[in-house]
Amino acid sequence: MKIDPGKKELLINLLSLVGFVLLWQTVLILTREGIFSIPFIRLRDIPTPVETWHALLGSMFTHIYGPALTYGIYNHVFASLERVIEGGIIAFIIGVPVGIGVGYSKLIGNIFNPIIEIVRNMPPMAWIPIAIFIFVSGGSIFIVFIGVVFPIILNTIQGVRSTDERLLDAARTLGASESMIVTKVVIPSAFPSIMTGLRIGLGVGWMAIVAAEMVIRSPVGLGYFIWNMGDLGRYAEMIAGMIVIGVIGYMMNISILLLQRRFIKWAD
Amino acid sequence: MKNSMKILFIVTLTISAIFVAGCLQSKQTPETSAPINLVKMSGQEMIQKLGTGEISGFIMWEPYPAIAVTKGLGRNLILSGNIWKDHPCCVVAYDEDWYKATNNSDEILKRMALVQLKSVEYINNAKQSDSKDHDELINFTMQFGAMTDPVAANMSLADVEFVYNTNVPGATTFIQKIQDFGIFVPEKWNQSGYKNASDYANSLVTNNYVDWAINNKDANLSDISLKEPVTVRYGYLINDIHELPFYVGWQKGYYKDLGINISIGEGAPFQNGAFEMQKGFKANTIDIGSLGIPPVIIHRINSNDFSNDDARVGVIAGMNNEGSVIVVASNITSLKDLSGKTVGFPGPGTIQHVLFLMAADKEGLKVSY
Repeated sequence: MKIDPGKKELLINLLSLVGFVLLWQTVLILTREGIFSIPFIRLRDIPTPVETWHALLGSMFTHIYGPALTYGIYNHVFASLERVIEGGIIAFIIGVPVGIGVGYSKLIGNIFNPIIEIVRNMPPMAWIPIAIFIFVSGGSIFIVFIGVVFPIILNTIQGVRSTDERLLDAARTLGASESMIVTKVVIPSAFPSIMTGLRIGLGVGWMAIVAAEMVIRSPVGLGYFIWNMGDLGRYAEMIAGMIVIGVIGYMMNISILLLQRRFIKWAD
Repeated sequence: MKNSMKILFIVTLTISAIFVAGCLQSKQTPETSAPINLVKMSGQEMIQKLGTGEISGFIMWEPYPAIAVTKGLGRNLILSGNIWKDHPCCVVAYDEDWYKATNNSDEILKRMALVQLKSVEYINNAKQSDSKDHDELINFTMQFGAMTDPVAANMSLADVEFVYNTNVPGATTFIQKIQDFGIFVPEKWNQSGYKNASDYANSLVTNNYVDWAINNKDANLSDISLKEPVTVRYGYLINDIHELPFYVGWQKGYYKDLGINISIGEGAPFQNGAFEMQKGFKANTIDIGSLGIPPVIIHRINSNDFSNDDARVGVIAGMNNEGSVIVVASNITSLKDLSGKTVGFPGPGTIQHVLFLMAADKEGLKVSY
């Protein structure tokens, strides 16, 4: 029997996921039966996949317990996504022009490079304390911005610099002005690279938002959700929240990749 | 590749369907008024954010309410004693693992209860402004609560009822509340084997130690001191005036006089009771500590591994009743005004959380977090 390679790949991927869940369940059952243990780790406190699944279903939607209204996970997902998208848009609007300027002009490059090189090495999490003090609201969006803007700038610079010299020469020979060269040659040529920057940046931004939400207080957000569940000792809900964070991050990555493939035909 | 696209499409569709269903469901819930948003934060943040107007109020233990009020940032809306008269709050608890591993743990606990009694008597006496110890007490209060203003120190002392007796009916009511609010993990509650709230409360609280303390309250401390001094790793909450009896006992040397050396446990002082339970008692970094009774009640069930009972603690004495305050900005005149606004609280499952839920319930208000 012949299996087509695409199907085979998918099958292996699925098996790997199922295998991981089975391993997780097995290790926990063995631990709870007292057969298996690792020193210094309280494996028994980790919920099983089944418990996590129930917790996920149980906390997906908003509930009312007495006077308490607990937001469902989907509310937290939307809140976090909204912050990432807002931070991402601001980063895109600022990052792309800066990247094009630095990549295209030596002078602008020399002006901006020292600042970019130092500031980009400050991780988004290092900005959280100062964001708490200086922002009346929107501190978490700022943290996302910091996370997203540097991958966009760096990838834009790289995209601009790798513009085919022959195309630039051809445009100049045909009498194109500098602004025409930038808009008609440099930007289209750098676009795939800019999208890569956006994709990497949003990945960083997604990680940063969860950390920011744990420290910068707001009633909703996935980071806030998992921290709150921890305070109540509801570990299954915590893991469920973590899995949702992973799945959303993965889906964001994939959807930008798909967009890239669909709309940037000249990339290949 | 085509197939993986299809699967991706189906997965995306399913997830969107779940979200849409969720939105529809949330739309169906009857919305009487906008819920009050409870946001977890530290006491320092509450004061700062009330000042900048980011929050419209907070519920917190003393001294934070007194500091906010004396700084002119807000005013007291409801004292917790008016939500529930004589409600229990902080207690003295011990770690079951330590109890089993220590030979004379009963003798140590008796003396811990006696220090609590002595300190509470000292505080209640020195609280009076004509007492000769009044200035000393105000100094203790300012040191322990990280305060600079004696007016705030006096105000915070006035709101707290210091006690040494444990309040078993109060604990039972709390357990019932926490059960009603759906905070216990159902499987864990079943594993615990407790029949009902009062069954659990009776297993949690031991009164013998306080009884012994009452019988020996007039004895000379050095006469009933432990023969061999012991060191106890103690945990407490940061800047919490409720736990002033601990600080007084420590500073006045009552523990030392009874043969107990206090060493501050790793991680202490803790930001809230949940931390003290999870990072202190469960992780075995503290032997005895003071904290609110709700985190004890919640984490002895939810965070406990019932195969070895690592989060099992026992309560030997009270610390205080009442002593928390809902403080609001000047434009708020009733709890109803907080609807749709943000209110700071020290964290889910704290006494302040439960009290705020009770206050909201009385007014028919919803709370979200």
